[in-house]
Amino acid sequence: QEVTLKLHQFLPAQANVPKLVLDVWADNVEEDSGGRIKVERYPSMQLGGKPPELIDQAIDGVADIVWTVVGYTPGRFPSTEVFELPFMMTNARAVSHAYWEMFEKHMKDTEFKDVKILGTWVHGPGIFHTKDPVEAPEDLQGMKIRGGSRSVNSLLTKLGATPVGMPVPAVSEGLSKGVIDGTTIPWEVTTALKVPELVENHTEFEGRALYVLTFVLAMNKDKYDSLPDDLKKVIDDNSGLEFSVFAGGTQADSDGPAREVALDLGNNIITISEADTAAWREIAQPIYDEWIADMDSKGIDGQALIDEANMLIEKYTPQYEN
Amino acid sequence: MTALEIGIASFPALMALIFLRVPIGLAMFLVGLVGLILVTDGTTVAFARLKTETFTTFSSYSLSIVPMFLLMGHFATLGGMSTALFKAAEGWLGHRRGGVAMASIGACAGFGAICGSSLATAATMGRVALPELKQYGYAGGFSTATLAAGGTLGILIPPSVVLVIYAILTEQNIAKLFLAAFIPGILAAIGYVIAISIYVRLYPDSAGVRPPVPYAERFAALLRVWPVLLVFGLVVGGIYLGWFTPTEGAAVGAFGTGFIAWLNGGLNRETLIDSFLVTARSTAMIFFIVLGAAFYNGFLALTQVPQQLSDFVVSQGFSPWVVLILILCFYLVFGCLMDSLSMILLTIPIFFPVISAMDFGLVDLAAMQADLAREVLAVGVPEGMGAEMLASIQEAIATGLELTREQMRALDIRMTQGMANRIEAEMVAIWFGILVLIVVEVGLITPPVGMNLFIINAMDRKTPMVETYKAVIFFVASDIFRVILLVAFPAITLFLLPG
Amino acid sequence: MHKAMMGLARFLAIVGGIVLSALIILTCVSILGRLLNGGLHSDLIEGLAPGMAKWLLDLGVGPVNGDFELVEAGVAFAIFCFLPLCQITAGHASVDILANSFPKSVNRFLRMVIEIAFALVLCLIAWRLLEGTMDKFGNGETTLLLEFPIWWAFALSFCAALAAAVVGVYMAGVRTYEFITGRILIWDGVEATQ
Ligand code: NA
Ligand code: NA
Repeated sequence: QEVTLKLHQFLPAQANVPKLVLDVWADNVEEDSGGRIKVERYPSMQLGGKPPELIDQAIDGVADIVWTVVGYTPGRFPSTEVFELPFMMTNARAVSHAYWEMFEKHMKDTEFKDVKILGTWVHGPGIFHTKDPVEAPEDLQGMKIRGGSRSVNSLLTKLGATPVGMPVPAVSEGLSKGVIDGTTIPWEVTTALKVPELVENHTEFEGRALYVLTFVLAMNKDKYDSLPDDLKKVIDDNSGLEFSVFAGGTQADSDGPAREVALDLGNNIITISEADTAAWREIAQPIYDEWIADMDSKGIDGQALIDEANMLIEKYTPQYEN
Repeated sequence: MTALEIGIASFPALMALIFLRVPIGLAMFLVGLVGLILVTDGTTVAFARLKTETFTTFSSYSLSIVPMFLLMGHFATLGGMSTALFKAAEGWLGHRRGGVAMASIGACAGFGAICGSSLATAATMGRVALPELKQYGYAGGFSTATLAAGGTLGILIPPSVVLVIYAILTEQNIAKLFLAAFIPGILAAIGYVIAISIYVRLYPDSAGVRPPVPYAERFAALLRVWPVLLVFGLVVGGIYLGWFTPTEGAAVGAFGTGFIAWLNGGLNRETLIDSFLVTARSTAMIFFIVLGAAFYNGFLALTQVPQQLSDFVVSQGFSPWVVLILILCFYLVFGCLMDSLSMILLTIPIFFPVISAMDFGLVDLAAMQADLAREVLAVGVPEGMGAEMLASIQEAIATGLELTREQMRALDIRMTQGMANRIEAEMVAIWFGILVLIVVEVGLITPPVGMNLFIINAMDRKTPMVETYKAVIFFVASDIFRVILLVAFPAITLFLLPG
Repeated sequence: MHKAMMGLARFLAIVGGIVLSALIILTCVSILGRLLNGGLHSDLIEGLAPGMAKWLLDLGVGPVNGDFELVEAGVAFAIFCFLPLCQITAGHASVDILANSFPKSVNRFLRMVIEIAFALVLCLIAWRLLEGTMDKFGNGETTLLLEFPIWWAFALSFCAALAAAVVGVYMAGVRTYEFITGRILIWDGVEATQ
């Protein structure tokens, strides 16, 4: 083959995203290039460094392609946070679609100008997994919860819970030792963390979800530019809007089997109806205001981003409902 | 040269540098750097990685446990805990044949419960016990060998810095590893005491006699070890009660010992600065090795060597037990030459994938389900369970069949194949970790290169190294016997673990 | 010269030790806050002294926000601070097995080469860390909870790394002088046993 691309990411090779999204992407690229591109896959941070360094590894060419959580480097890609606000997200395909459109319009030549973005997506709805049931905001009073993102932590404080900072791999230990009473994560990762074995209650929200994290698949710019035109086309054809929707959708589809595991164990799944989320949203409102103020201080029109994201999410959500 | 060839060639290069006395961390860093430059055709990748990798390697929440445990050990000495432990053990054991040596082992075990490092335990107890051993006519080599071996209890008995590093490398639960290390650690202490009694029987002239101490004094000495029990209880108890995580436990332990040392008047400005300096030196030494290993392992992954090795071993279809024994023998041999931390950092990323890809059959799904089912049925047949269902469950238990989902639902128990696989994977990781811990610790006392031997021997200039080498064989033999025992009976290591 | 270098190394080690102690205390305070917070929310206390429980909770009794981030930033700085002392006291772990059988002159030569290589590596580390600091300064990256700029921690660590590089270069000079003159200025393991 002519070109070797090193794909670096933080999860083990057999986890859902590497297996069902990244491998599929890499296999397609290899095949479409007629074997001229080889994608070497390095899971579990094998090329060194910690997950927050991934985006710089793509910018500096330590790896050619990386998959990373945008929130690992807070403050660097602030516009993406619009999708991470509480009760923004509906379903992963629609939001990934909106994310890609807004990326092309607002972020491509600004926040992400140092790297070639191949895909932008979000995971399935982030939900509560707790020892004691959470049916209303006041149930969280006094619980120690690991929050999945900055805005979730902020929401937890407002709900009277104590947000506890700990890395994802520490969650199982934290739950089993009682250092935390619950955690927020999407269904998909609960299996690997043994969450359904450690807690008995899961709280989902109908309609808009509690939170999500945003991802990017990013390529080193020079590496991309160095490719001959026909190979550039192979990369382009496999990337962009369609791939982003596929990635977000595939990741969210892994939620189902994980939820099944919890049901099998006889766990209690609580669904908060759309009407009942009103009380939650009211508590979350100040987080929106704080975020808009924060964006203003960075010279970004936060309100406009929120409005546009809302508009796009509402537009695409019906399109992707099963 | 292909990347794979460069990766393979890096082993002899690394060994050559290490034997030319290049510091181990530096050697790994240099080979990783040069290898990375060769594999990636230039300095771009290596230099880009260095922009953040030194910082992020040092900036690790879980590794912050290391300097905290080291500081804790120094504070414990300042607080008089090492002396108190030795005096108490000596009061009860000292008058027996070889009793002062046995007391040294007992004190090392006690100190190991509040100190995370072998070298620190050896050095601390050496300072306390060597003069006494001398005074009661114990032979030089026998005394130094006893203390060098006793020092390894610093790591074998939790808390343990090497176990923390292993837990981080293999993403395992530190608290469970500590728990699993407990019985093997106690067995180590017992094994050393037996080694001593055999030694003094074979060489009666090597140990003098110490007059017995009155019982009142013995009890008084025993009472003076309360701070050790308090700190150990607080740290270990707090971790298991969910008051704090192991990382936070290290901070609690350091604070607690520091506070006790201050109460006892052992901690003042001068001794505090002194403990900072000693902690600084060993912390920097450890973290430079961690950095070198991170850099070298990043390069090695790029050459695909660990992947290929794991694939090769698995495809050969060796029995898991043969592979395990070969790996342990490798550690025993290399332990004669290298220090434990470097070996763990260098080899676990290569060996762990091999071991975790194998099935040791430590877990039996049907048996676990049957245990859970029996527990439920012992309380009484659950409400709403039909006679037919009950009969089918009882039949499954009797014949050793796995339960169906419906049967588990009816019993309200949770134990699926997936859960069993995860339990097996975790048990193998923990058991392997304890075995590796022991064999690399044996390396600290095997001639010719054994860090503990050097440390203790340096305190006793009158004893030739060869004398120490001769006596330490007895302790090494007890170590090897223990390893065989733990390999043959995984349950010794695993039975304390919560289901 | 040696006095100044030793003074620098000791000073930084003590600074690192103080930072480490501060992190230990911070962690303990955070644990205490978390435990108290849990206790105040417990049914027992809320039943016995609801007013006081609420007052204390409103006061912000709970874990220290961002304790985890402060430990990560602080411990990195402390370890960089510890490097110079390890360098100047020849504290790095090495394998002496063959070196013991080499003639003294060979050992002196090896030690010079090794110390020069070490100095180069420490300079490389400091230089790259400076680049890293500039990157973080330029891109506005912050920590997750406290949102303090990451470059602060990088910049502090760079200062300590620079000191380590200076001490490394000094030690390379010392070993070169020892090799040329045959006079040992700073003793380490092998010379002691030979
Ligand atoms: Na210990
Ligand atoms: Na050895």
